[in-house]
Amino acid sequence: MKDEPSPIQTNEVGLDKLKPALTSLGTPPEPPVRARRGNTIHTTSELAIGEGDVYSNEAEIEAVAGKSLWRDAWRRLRRNRLAVFGMVFLLVIACASLVGPLIIKATTGYTHDYIPSEASLIKSFPPFTDTDGSFSWKHPMGTDTTGRDILARVLFGGRVSLTVGIISTIVSLIIGVSYGATAGYLDGRTDDVMMRIVDVLYAIPYMMVVIVLLAMFSGQTPHGRLLLLFLALGAVSWLTMARIVRGQVLSLKNQEFILAARATGVSPTKIIFRHLVPNALSPVIVYATLTVPQVMLQEAFLSFLGFGVQAPLTSWGSLAFEGIQNMAIFPWQLIFPSVTMALTLLSLNFLGDGLRDALDPQMRRG
Amino acid sequence: MLSFIIRRMIIVVPMVLLVVTITWVLIRLAPGNFYTGERRLPAAIEKNIREKYGLDKPWYVQYGKMMGNTLRGDFGDSLQYRGQSVNQILLRTLPVSATLGLLAYLSALIVGVSAGMLAAMKQNTTLDHASMALAILGISLPNFVLGPVLVLLFSLTLYWLPPARWGGFLSWNLVLPVVTLSVAYMAYIARLTRAGMLEVLRADYIRTARAKGLPERQVIFRHASRGGLLPVVSYTGPALAFLITGTVVIERIFALPGLGNYFINANLNRDEPLIIGIVAFMSITILIFNLLVDIAYAYIDPRIRY
Amino acid sequence: MKLAVNWFRFIATLAILSPLVACSVSQAGNVEFFGKTEPPKGRILRYTSGAEPGSIDPHIPTNQLEHRIIMALFEGLVEYHPKTMKPIPAIAERWEANKDHSEFVFHLRRNARWSDNDPITADDFVYSFRRAISPQLAARNASFAYYIKYAQSYNEGGVFVRDPATGEFLLEEDFSLDSAKTVAKTEAPVQHKQSDTPSIALPSEASSPSAHCGLQQPRPALYDAENAIAIDTSFHRFIRSPTRFVLPGAEQARAKALESNPGLKAALSGKELVPVKAEDIGVEAVDEYTLRITLTQTAPFFIEMLPLHLFRVVPRKAIEKHGAAWTQPGKIVSCGPFKLQTWKPYNELTVVRDPLYWDAAIVKLDQISFFPLEENMTIMNLYKAGELDAVYNHTVPYGWIDQIRTLKDYMDAPEAAIAYYWINTTKPPMTDKRVRKAFNMAIDKDALAALRRTSKPLTAFTPEGIFPGYPQPKGDKFDPKRASHLLADAGYRDNEGNFDPEKFPTDQVELTYNTNPNNRVIAEFLQAQWKQNLQITVTIKNMENSTFDALRNRLDYKGFARGSYGADYMDPFTFLTLFHTPNNGSGTGWTDPKYDQIIDEANRTLDPRRRYELLAEAEAYLIEEQPMLPLQSERTNWMKKPYVKGLYPTLGAMHAWKFVYIEHDPAKWDRGMPQMTE
Repeated sequence: MKDEPSPIQTNEVGLDKLKPALTSLGTPPEPPVRARRGNTIHTTSELAIGEGDVYSNEAEIEAVAGKSLWRDAWRRLRRNRLAVFGMVFLLVIACASLVGPLIIKATTGYTHDYIPSEASLIKSFPPFTDTDGSFSWKHPMGTDTTGRDILARVLFGGRVSLTVGIISTIVSLIIGVSYGATAGYLDGRTDDVMMRIVDVLYAIPYMMVVIVLLAMFSGQTPHGRLLLLFLALGAVSWLTMARIVRGQVLSLKNQEFILAARATGVSPTKIIFRHLVPNALSPVIVYATLTVPQVMLQEAFLSFLGFGVQAPLTSWGSLAFEGIQNMAIFPWQLIFPSVTMALTLLSLNFLGDGLRDALDPQMRRG
Repeated sequence: MLSFIIRRMIIVVPMVLLVVTITWVLIRLAPGNFYTGERRLPAAIEKNIREKYGLDKPWYVQYGKMMGNTLRGDFGDSLQYRGQSVNQILLRTLPVSATLGLLAYLSALIVGVSAGMLAAMKQNTTLDHASMALAILGISLPNFVLGPVLVLLFSLTLYWLPPARWGGFLSWNLVLPVVTLSVAYMAYIARLTRAGMLEVLRADYIRTARAKGLPERQVIFRHASRGGLLPVVSYTGPALAFLITGTVVIERIFALPGLGNYFINANLNRDEPLIIGIVAFMSITILIFNLLVDIAYAYIDPRIRY
Repeated sequence: MKLAVNWFRFIATLAILSPLVACSVSQAGNVEFFGKTEPPKGRILRYTSGAEPGSIDPHIPTNQLEHRIIMALFEGLVEYHPKTMKPIPAIAERWEANKDHSEFVFHLRRNARWSDNDPITADDFVYSFRRAISPQLAARNASFAYYIKYAQSYNEGGVFVRDPATGEFLLEEDFSLDSAKTVAKTEAPVQHKQSDTPSIALPSEASSPSAHCGLQQPRPALYDAENAIAIDTSFHRFIRSPTRFVLPGAEQARAKALESNPGLKAALSGKELVPVKAEDIGVEAVDEYTLRITLTQTAPFFIEMLPLHLFRVVPRKAIEKHGAAWTQPGKIVSCGPFKLQTWKPYNELTVVRDPLYWDAAIVKLDQISFFPLEENMTIMNLYKAGELDAVYNHTVPYGWIDQIRTLKDYMDAPEAAIAYYWINTTKPPMTDKRVRKAFNMAIDKDALAALRRTSKPLTAFTPEGIFPGYPQPKGDKFDPKRASHLLADAGYRDNEGNFDPEKFPTDQVELTYNTNPNNRVIAEFLQAQWKQNLQITVTIKNMENSTFDALRNRLDYKGFARGSYGADYMDPFTFLTLFHTPNNGSGTGWTDPKYDQIIDEANRTLDPRRRYELLAEAEAYLIEEQPMLPLQSERTNWMKKPYVKGLYPTLGAMHAWKFVYIEHDPAKWDRGMPQMTE
């Protein structure tokens, strides 16, 4: 990794102090409709500096921005080899989850729910082992205690786990970020109300909500139930995100560039989403990548309690939960789902870090 | 600041009542009662039970009783654990969960913050990648996997530590649960610290500080750490509130008499007084911790005002 | 990229290493037993009975988990035999039954004491029985006591009907609300005469001068023949007089009952309603150490039921003093071989030897620690690490059984418990008996037993080979072909008359189970079986317990809902009663007068062989109708360290603790299952 110059350490002089911490999505100056929104903080002396910065750079940045932002980020992302690795691995695992079970069914005939009816086959075979103990490609990950192919189950479980992770992360990103940023940016009273709502949502017993949700829609098909589960998991995953974003925004909103934007009459929505959020992106991306494992494990726990995915559907978390029971006797039941999950999360984090670096408005140069 | 704190403290009461009300409605909506069991009860016995526990009364009477109990801070007796009051249960289980949670969070904080700061200072070096990869591993290892693996290693192979059960506030029994619990949090904190620090290290005031010729140590600890830890502080509020009020998986795996397991069982058994009691307590904890976090914001970052 | 490669290497090493660690673990140490075999220092037993007990008040909990703990603290008239679970004398040193087994007289031992040194008398039992049945306590198990005369009426809050002019009560033989209800009509005709014999527990009505009691009836032959152990009392004459008619106490229910019976309505005019009181139930303290229990009917199995915790004696003084908190340490007064020392919820419940116990000399343990544990994995870990000496039933995860079975501390014995699925017979297509039978026949139960490792295939509704001399009927065998034919017969066929899965309303059938890894595996297996044998893919639905119970109880499920039942007492009736109308605890919506009739006849039959034949006849009828899907007879599936002696794998998973001891001499350890014959 040494070949990649670290921008921070080479940039100690602060040459780019002239370049303000303003996102390149900065907008053309609008007439100051409401230069000051009744918040005392605006009177701080820092305002003057910030204002100057913004004006001096706005037009210039605008010229390059817009079109090249994503291309720019993509280019930088491609240069980050770990991120590329992560991306490739995620794509591979996603494709494998989608088509893998079909291939296995076509080649060996095993599915995630096929339990052999022959009593001698209903047991856990080690990886690459045939019924007589010899080497075989039949079950590369072995079988579980009921004699089902673990590879098929792991791949099939990937569908649920990845979907859960993706949906919850999207919910968390959309609701959490906009909610938190809005609360942080708006005046104290609105912020107060919005954050108290979050507190109430934190305190409501989540399990009771799931119980009631599932009871109300008990007639649903397994897939309908799965959707409910995704909803339920997403519904809580954004709370901490909102708090984190709000914290960042609270700190950012009194910085020069925001004060400047405000003074020039940029609309609050634009300030929030074009100025504040991009600058809080680093913790957002990190927390988003952290949400995924959290949600996957939450799903496993809910499944354990009877709220989660319906058997014989499964997920990595549930597989690991099953595997842990038999860890001392049939370790492959634990290792394969766990390692798959760990590798996926690892890749996800590499990708997240890469994305963070690529999208970072302050790292963008050249 | 003081008025802010007072305002927030006053709001706790209506908030708790709101949470408790929502919870009460949820319990009513959920199918099943605390007395439903494997075998269907004869109608007369069910009627006796409903009369005994006032479930035959109109909803507003039941609701009023529950609200009165909540306001008085006396939630009555548990339905599942006969003859034990909810307050007794809270008093008994809270120290266990709090000990576990605080110890775990403290160790997570120390290790996580130092690892995160180191990683941020040495961004894109092997140290950074190694510590972050380790952190991700910590996150992606579910605690229900990590716990049993540690038990298998330290209790059943090496016979060094007890595999489960509560042995008092200072005992070897605590080691494995605390480690298991703290690993995920450690990883979270490390990652959040690193992200926050990276953000701050590029901020103008840090550059200014460096430009002024301040020693790097001072720049990091005096200036950067404050803003850089903001995400960690945001995260700490809810995390600590949840840790203190119990962590179900750990409590179940290690058979610890904490609040979390009671809460799950209360939910599953529809033990209304116990659910209400724990929820009320939890909401107070969450509100207070989030208040503390907001105060900490102002302290860490002087630009944040209320 | 180099880093990533390193990580791969690390993970790969981890993956390769962990099985090695695991293997070394499973083979480490003693191969004869699972984990450490070092006995505890003193005469201490560390046991887990499952999760935290809800209560140790004998009358309140309904689970085996609490029952086992209660057995250490409280005794009843009789106790379970440590091996056979047949009733053996406890506080009652002997007992007699009248000829038709509708009345029992118990002679209490005079040296039985409470842990506070008070003697245990017949009055204590009268108090305990009345408390257990009282509507105020609202015990969930109260229906076990419904065989006691007027107990059901008292528990249900019923009322007698009295003519204020004559003081006479309406009798049941003249009016009957429920034709299915069985009445003991064994009493001889009686004549009315007032008695003034003093009695210990005088029923409220008996003392009133105009009461319709005090009947001079011929005493059961038993009392004449034996040396007149139970004296004639006014209460006895009241309780043996013809059964009074009982109406529902609640206004609405009564109005409904009257509406359907115009004759009754007419007879009721001008009469007054007298609530059935605790004093009216058929439990009487004849003298300080003699207890008489009168039943509503012949019930030869009643003695078998008496070790149930509902019938154990509780301390009146402590309960009246402390209320619901009486079971807490320091407040509790017990009467069993052990007394409560500490109770730290979800941590430890410790009982110690009670020197005042009447049989204290035989008690070989000084202390039993019950550890409340929820996760089987945790239980097995503690057991392996030598921190538990024995565990309760069904704790060995089924995946482990192949490995564990070879060890000599594994307890694999038949258990009086069954697993099955209820069938909702109120919703099509399961209203059709042929469909129910077809689904049953399409399950290879031998393969299921192989999958479960530790159960036997079951085709009937009582566990196999548990009740000696019971001619258990056999149900349908695995026969997918016939299953298809049956379904075709039921109308799900193509033009050629062959079974066509496409025609079957698959969306109307689901497999619902309460969440639990074992239940899940069975559901998955059933699904796979039907998929393979009938080409029908049934949806699996799991739920948390309370939701599941609620839905099943109100028949709000399609197709199949998981069930399991362990014997409450050692008689086939404990299973068959689930479908018996007066007490129907099934979640199927199936009731059948013919079934009820055979069962009633069986229970009126005194000859045990004939009774078993009748019960078997009823069971045969039940499995012919197939309102459930029998799956397997359970096995005990638990472990105990070799040094724990006197703890047997009983049929009902109950243990009489006073016979248990720790053997410190390895030569005398149990290697394998302990001898179960006496």
